Amino acid sequence: MKKTKRKKKTRVSIRMNMMFFVVFLLFSVLIFRLGIVQIVQGEDYQRKIERTENVTVNTSVPRGKIYDREGQIIVDNVPQNAITYTRKKGASQEEMLETAAKLAKLIEKETDQVTERDKKDFWIMKNEEAAKAKVTEKEWTRYEEGEISEDDLYQLQLDRITEEELQSLSAEELEILAIYREFTSGYAMTPQIVKNKGVTQKEYALVSENLSSLPGVNTTTDWERAYAYDETLRTVLGNISSSREGLPKEMIDFYLSRDYSRNDRVGTSYIEYQYEEVLRGQKTKVKNVTDKSGNILDSQIIREGQRGNDLMLTIDMDLQLAVEKIIEEELWRAKSQPGHPLLDRAFVTMMDPNTGEILALAGKQYHVNEDGKAEMRDFALGNITTSYTMGSVVKGATVLTGFMADAIEPGHTFIDEPIKLAGTPSKSSWFNRGGAMRVNDHYALMRSSNVYMYKTAMKIGNTEYRPNMSLRMDAQQVIMTMRRYFGQFGLGVRTGIDLPNEQTGYQGKITQPGLVLDYAIGQFDTYTPLQLAQYVSTIANGGNRMKPHIVKSIHEPASETGKIGSLVEDIHPQVLNRLDATESEIERVQEGFRMVMGSSQGTAARYFGGASYQPAGKTGTAEGVYDGPKREEYLERGESLPMTWNITLVGYAPYDNPEVAFSVVVPWAYQSSAYSTPINNTIGRKILDKYFELKEERMAAETSDIIIEQEMQLSEEEKRDEEE
Amino acid sequence: MTSPKQNSSRIDYGLVLILLMMFLVSCLAIYSAQTTGQYADNFVMKQAIFYIIGTGIIALVISFDSEQLMGMSWYVYGFGILLLAFLIIAPDSIAPVVNGAKSWYQVPGLSLQPSEFMKVFLILALGRVLVLHHQKYSARTTQSDWLLLGKLCLVTAFPLLLVMQQPDLGTSLVFMSILLGMIFVSGISWRILLPLFGSITAAATAIFYMVLWHPGILEKYLGVKQYQFGRIYSWLDPYNYESSTGFHLTRSLLAIGSGQTMGKGFSEREVYLPESHTDFIFSIIGEEYGFIGSSIVVSLFFLLIYHLTKLALSTKVVYYTYMCAGVIAMITFHAFQNIGMTIGLLPITGIPLPFISYGGSSLMGNMLAMGLIFSITFNERHYMFSSDND
Repeated sequence: MKKTKRKKKTRVSIRMNMMFFVVFLLFSVLIFRLGIVQIVQGEDYQRKIERTENVTVNTSVPRGKIYDREGQIIVDNVPQNAITYTRKKGASQEEMLETAAKLAKLIEKETDQVTERDKKDFWIMKNEEAAKAKVTEKEWTRYEEGEISEDDLYQLQLDRITEEELQSLSAEELEILAIYREFTSGYAMTPQIVKNKGVTQKEYALVSENLSSLPGVNTTTDWERAYAYDETLRTVLGNISSSREGLPKEMIDFYLSRDYSRNDRVGTSYIEYQYEEVLRGQKTKVKNVTDKSGNILDSQIIREGQRGNDLMLTIDMDLQLAVEKIIEEELWRAKSQPGHPLLDRAFVTMMDPNTGEILALAGKQYHVNEDGKAEMRDFALGNITTSYTMGSVVKGATVLTGFMADAIEPGHTFIDEPIKLAGTPSKSSWFNRGGAMRVNDHYALMRSSNVYMYKTAMKIGNTEYRPNMSLRMDAQQVIMTMRRYFGQFGLGVRTGIDLPNEQTGYQGKITQPGLVLDYAIGQFDTYTPLQLAQYVSTIANGGNRMKPHIVKSIHEPASETGKIGSLVEDIHPQVLNRLDATESEIERVQEGFRMVMGSSQGTAARYFGGASYQPAGKTGTAEGVYDGPKREEYLERGESLPMTWNITLVGYAPYDNPEVAFSVVVPWAYQSSAYSTPINNTIGRKILDKYFELKEERMAAETSDIIIEQEMQLSEEEKRDEEE
Repeated sequence: MTSPKQNSSRIDYGLVLILLMMFLVSCLAIYSAQTTGQYADNFVMKQAIFYIIGTGIIALVISFDSEQLMGMSWYVYGFGILLLAFLIIAPDSIAPVVNGAKSWYQVPGLSLQPSEFMKVFLILALGRVLVLHHQKYSARTTQSDWLLLGKLCLVTAFPLLLVMQQPDLGTSLVFMSILLGMIFVSGISWRILLPLFGSITAAATAIFYMVLWHPGILEKYLGVKQYQFGRIYSWLDPYNYESSTGFHLTRSLLAIGSGQTMGKGFSEREVYLPESHTDFIFSIIGEEYGFIGSSIVVSLFFLLIYHLTKLALSTKVVYYTYMCAGVIAMITFHAFQNIGMTIGLLPITGIPLPFISYGGSSLMGNMLAMGLIFSITFNERHYMFSSDND
């Protein structure tokens, strides 16, 4: 008995010892793991802490300004008072609500941004007990059993809040809510704008005085874009998002990966968008050292912020304004006359044919507003975003295509005669409706021979014209060839302008060979006004297709107001491609263009005769089915769409050393030739006159400056002489 | 009967010293923890008061000898079961649902978690079952071993089920570890123990495998909740679950890891960790005192276990041995699980670090256990004396 007891006792001892050994093993594992975490990986964790507990915050800086080529400011920044809130990490709902309530007493805050959901959340916060009562016992038990989640429970409460209960929120409470909403919409440690529009001096002063009792609130300066020329070029300058909109949704990842924060204001269209990188500036980077509960103990500036760089545009604002005025006047004049019901817009692009710099990009749209009052709207964008059939202005490209495709050679002649193809009405040139005369390339361009272009196109398709023939050629092949060569001028392809959303025009579908002939006189594919300007520039400068650009240079922010900062980058002229034509071939077309305006028989001679700056160019008219904004009205009324005339003009001057090239496009100018108006030519003449007038004025001003300077030098010398 | 001199030597001073050190560590760590400002209470003060009450409990228990303890064991066990059972039907006003579990009695000025005391009551009851069984079946057979195993499991099953329904996974695991510890020392044959421990390991592995690859099955047949999976997932891959369930673990690892070898010093913490005065107290120790400090705390626990083991081996009363084994299992599990979860060794379960974490019920439960241990030395001499006379 005793033996077994002792035996039992020793067995228990063995077990106890084994148990102790197991405990020893377990505790060894703990120590071992602690060694790994603290000694082996300790430094990694320490580094991680330094990353998370020292938060860096970016503070926005004003965007760059935009100047015109003469240094006149177009887009400026105006400071405006703003009240911001910076949420510290771990700030509680109660704290924030308390601050919001205090702030609501000091400032007026619009409540129109408050959504119904916000109101409901707010109501639940305010009426905890009543909100709890909205959930039945049964649902509570289901929640406790885990059948429904906390979110479901909350949703139930939301759904059961009645309209009256929401109405019970007072105006004051709504204001607190509106402010609280702004508080919570930002990121921790990032200043969030609570109010920046219409902050009165009194509000600003009141909040500034009470900052100590408003944790997180600050008074600061925000920036708003100001446009020195109001609506002029407004569409091209583009927009920026407000701090409420923040980053555009569709590009949020793009911007976030580039160190933007969600409430940053970015360019959303055109120049502001295209040059975002330049204009955005460098944010101030502040490192906030926080204590364990998230209070900011110390702020160190890691990197000083810098306002965004400035843009200098190629636009000459004086010219731009003058051109816009001319377009408006001509449009008003035409609209005041009978016969132009569909006319509603006109475009002018002017550029330096040697560099591709856009000097003026003007477009105006006639518009009847809700009050029935007619007004002119800025439509400069239409130069790159809308396209039309341009008519005979493209004939320079047709002739050069003939040369380049080896269909004809410089000086080639065709008989100008009405073209009669089997099964189609006859087609002829305007100046020669019935007869037959032999014309060369010069003459064909000067008088705008359609027949010369038809026959050139047929020649490209290896076909000779015979009266009443049926046109049998590989029309697809021909149009492909012609489009390829037209593309060398920029027609039907991207011009490469430094703006987003550029259109290339529509390509018609060749259903019968005769359509190729329409293409040859510009009545088939559509082109943008900017494409026309690039096309005529390519001919003007001797065959280089220049990339058009609207930004001339990028400058650092100026240290003094009224001055432009030092150059960061100059946008150099860029040749996109060269024409395949030889110099002498291009000169044939240049001479033809000169005759259009300079020779007495030229189609534009009446309007450009006597111009001292020796212009060259090509007129165009295109007849086509109306496809403008009133299209829907016609279709609704069940009427067929009317035929309308687009009238156009391209040109450059002086012809022997061109410095300016332009395109004028007036779509849907009139419906019947009885009401034809030379508005394209009058605009063309006036803008060229204006260009050279401005040039002369500036030269005169410069020389007078030089004279004054010389006089001053002289007088100083005289003084010195006298002193001596 | 005994002179004061004799009386004083009946106090287990080694254990007193260990508990004093625990007290110091606890106060230091809680003082640091409350600098987060999460709560306005002065927890150090309260913890000190709990320690004083705990000392009172020890004084109360110390005089009971083994016979008395054995005699009481069923009554306290029954009392514990009653408290646990009453929780289920108790109204919310005195037994509110805290963090999704109904495991507290709460009246103004006092809150009590009966399961903390039930652990000690269970140890007493299991010890008695063991002693009585071995008296009855002095010749051990496989059959009697099975019978014993069945009795032990049955006694554990009641409190275990009651705690599981609260639900309180952590405390259920403590009950199971107490059971396992006492089975281990009970003298049950290896022929039973090996397959038993083997199958437990296998089952744990299988469940683990299912959690990772087939959670649907567990959810459907065992009624496991999604958040409980979350703990496992976040334990294995805390950084992917950082915003939700992995938050505590990543923060805790950050705190302990950045403490490095030497620690950052008293109140020099950088990592904000909510609830760090209770379950995550070890993160504070790890961050402020580094590897050296946390190793000392682990060693302190080891010292305590060593002391208990020594006591268990030296005592001639077999009931005391079983009691020690139960307390060892309880404290080892608590310490290992709690420290293990703060350093990513084990999934997160809500159990405190004995003697160190802030909490009245937990500390008093543990002090009660210590009172039992003190009673061993207190009564041993007397027993030995009478045994010599025998």
